[in-house]
Amino acid sequence: MKKRSNWASLLLVSGLSFTLLLSACGGGNNAANNAPAAPANTGTTEQNTNDGAATNDAAATGSPLELALKGEYKGTKVTMFGPFVDADQVKFETSIKDFEEKTGIDIQYEGSKEFEATINVRVDGGNAPDIADFPQPGLLAAVAKTGKVIDLTTILDQEKLKANYNQSWLDMATMDGKDGKIMAGVWNRSNVKSLVWYPKKQFEEAGYTIPQTWDELMALTEQIAKDGDTAWAIGIESGAATGWPATDWVEDIMLRTTTPENYDKWVTGELPFTSPEVKHAVEKMSEIWMNPDYVYGGTKSIVTTAFGDSPAPMFDNPPKVWLHRQANFITSFFPETAKVDEDYDWFYLPPIDEQYGKPVLVAGDIYAMFNDRPEVRAVMEFFTTGESIKSWVQSGGVIAPMNDASLDWYTSEADRRMAQLVQEASTLRFDGSDLMPGKVGAGTFWKGMTDYVSGTATLDEALAQIQEGWNN
Amino acid sequence: MASTNQPRTASTKRKRGKTIVNLVLGVICALWLIPTLGLLISSFRPASDILQTGWWNVFPHREWTNAETIQLSKDVDLREPIEVNGQTYSDDELRAGVLNNDQRLIWENRRARTLNVQEQGWEFKPVLTLENYKNVLSGKEYKLKLADGSESIQKGTGLSQAFWNTLTIAVPATVIPVLIASFAAYAFAWLRFPGRKTLFVVIIAMLVIPLQVALIPVLKDYTALGLNGSYLGIWLAHTAFGLPLVTYFMYNFISQLPKDLFESAFIDGASHFTIFSRLILPLSVPALASIGIFQFLWVWNDYLVSLIFIGNQPSVQVMSMKIADLVGSRGNDWHLLTSAAFISMLMPLTIFFLLQKYFVRGLMGGSVKG
Repeated sequence: MKKRSNWASLLLVSGLSFTLLLSACGGGNNAANNAPAAPANTGTTEQNTNDGAATNDAAATGSPLELALKGEYKGTKVTMFGPFVDADQVKFETSIKDFEEKTGIDIQYEGSKEFEATINVRVDGGNAPDIADFPQPGLLAAVAKTGKVIDLTTILDQEKLKANYNQSWLDMATMDGKDGKIMAGVWNRSNVKSLVWYPKKQFEEAGYTIPQTWDELMALTEQIAKDGDTAWAIGIESGAATGWPATDWVEDIMLRTTTPENYDKWVTGELPFTSPEVKHAVEKMSEIWMNPDYVYGGTKSIVTTAFGDSPAPMFDNPPKVWLHRQANFITSFFPETAKVDEDYDWFYLPPIDEQYGKPVLVAGDIYAMFNDRPEVRAVMEFFTTGESIKSWVQSGGVIAPMNDASLDWYTSEADRRMAQLVQEASTLRFDGSDLMPGKVGAGTFWKGMTDYVSGTATLDEALAQIQEGWNN
Repeated sequence: MASTNQPRTASTKRKRGKTIVNLVLGVICALWLIPTLGLLISSFRPASDILQTGWWNVFPHREWTNAETIQLSKDVDLREPIEVNGQTYSDDELRAGVLNNDQRLIWENRRARTLNVQEQGWEFKPVLTLENYKNVLSGKEYKLKLADGSESIQKGTGLSQAFWNTLTIAVPATVIPVLIASFAAYAFAWLRFPGRKTLFVVIIAMLVIPLQVALIPVLKDYTALGLNGSYLGIWLAHTAFGLPLVTYFMYNFISQLPKDLFESAFIDGASHFTIFSRLILPLSVPALASIGIFQFLWVWNDYLVSLIFIGNQPSVQVMSMKIADLVGSRGNDWHLLTSAAFISMLMPLTIFFLLQKYFVRGLMGGSVKG
């Protein structure tokens, strides 16, 4: 295998060097560039066939992570592919640096804005990374069905996982494989969605108090309107993904107006969008969204305002807008001069019906494994520990879903309270639109909500249109 | 040329026709240039300004400025008609602004119940910054908080690595297909061999096939050969995807060269290779240059082929992908796209202006042939 591919590339190189010589352009570096790629790849396939032996070794002397920390896998490479780019990539790489230094395993992370579009092509083309980071479990579920994702049930110590994760997280990692249920991945980075951001200092100066119930929230909204401002900053424009912030609202309200079981049924398509439960949730949302006195710029500006730009007027002096419901990552859009805990803070989106407790909507990244080699196992095991995300947690903007991630790691009070919120949640549910099949969750749901908010469809029409997505 | 002896009326008619053509061209130019100008100006503006005002506000313009502030009683109910200096207005009117002679009455702060009486005046206070270009060229700074609460600043990478990567890909990916296609075009035009027409039709038919359908099969082969993520792999991919068009284009040009030339060369004992290198290549410089520009622009701006075959590792990442990444995972640094777009345009623009005269000639070379 190795010989043949080298021979083939040699032939290609020599064939091309003729044309390159004519063009007076040096072709010397292509051979050099090509050389490392070929052996690395053959290595992957060889190891794949040997994985049975690897399991035995690991069982004899300790877990892959322990072996790795002893320097057992020094000099090996693990490729990883995910959607973090730019600042997130820097934070991710910082958080794994220590592990790389201790074990000598080189984790080659490749980030791409087009992760969602590319991962299927890579997997189908036989070029899957060792580990891929899926921000949408629905996408991983589709890949897992093809049988190309490695089942982690026997690879990772289930007892340890149970101790380190809320059971909800483990349930969400169980997906349909080619033959039966598999554990398709491990959760590493998470976001909390049920948050309402507000300009803390001015909020207190204005004498407002944090609402504990939905009625208090509506009363506060009305009070702000009377005082002369619009309470809510809402924007759902997001290019091709326009409409997603609206789906988060619906999900959050669903959790507060119906049982978690109904929510799960809704996510799997058993409870249709046209059902009274879903309709009621959207109507609840409309109490705020469809009232031009409550939304900055009025209802019609919701669709045209970019989600990231929408909270900007909250930081004007005096604030033009006071409340913004969005996940914790929105802080990266806040002005750099604004300080967490001082200038802005968040409160939990209050419950609507007391019988459903304090549900929390979360999202996160699930890491799946495509190539089974001992060093990849070690890295996967590393990702189940809070240590793997510690420095990122310190930088802010993410929540660690693992139980061994200490609350002391969070450098801001706001982040610490978020982690606490997740750990103490009575019901923890994942962002429904990310769990639904792409046609609905990233298709008709977005579009239907946009049509409803912009006024091109009535509520019933919009819900029927969203439901259509399941039939396609 | 034929119209030099035509009567006067025809020439005035032609002049009028020319004016209309020029007008239409002018309008088209403006349609393209004005947004580009807007983008250029936006690339020098801070993000918060872009959100608030249009790019044309950097030019002198008329704007309402505050002349007088009216304080209303704090208990005014905004949902009732509001009385200001003896006249009543509705809240909506005051939000939009009420025009009165040359003055405008508008809310300053609804919460504090203050109104502004505004007058129009000239305004010229452009706020321009090089920050966007600095961030793109030399890399952004990322603030990381440490355990003890202090901050460490990490410098990101700028565009230079991606620029050289793109150049390393674009130059061979232009030269290789153009050379192969010239050989092929010569053979199709002047060599007689069995299956010539069939082969040519097959190549032309390739023009119709979208390259997207080939991505996964080619990727599978590349995985087997170990070509993924290597420069060689992407040169070959671009070469293969570009060849049909380039061959067709070169064939059109080379087949139109006078036959006598080759015949006399043959009689003098020249081989095919001599004819090609001594006659064809020098004669087809305009065509080579123009298809070269086409292919170069295509490769330079390519995103899809690079995304699939070379990936996003910093050592091989191309400009288009680096720029896409600049905006951040959630698109929070969208404003950097303005300056990045201009920087990535520089290279194609330079090439275009250097080879402009061939470009126009080459456009005709491909199309207007009988």
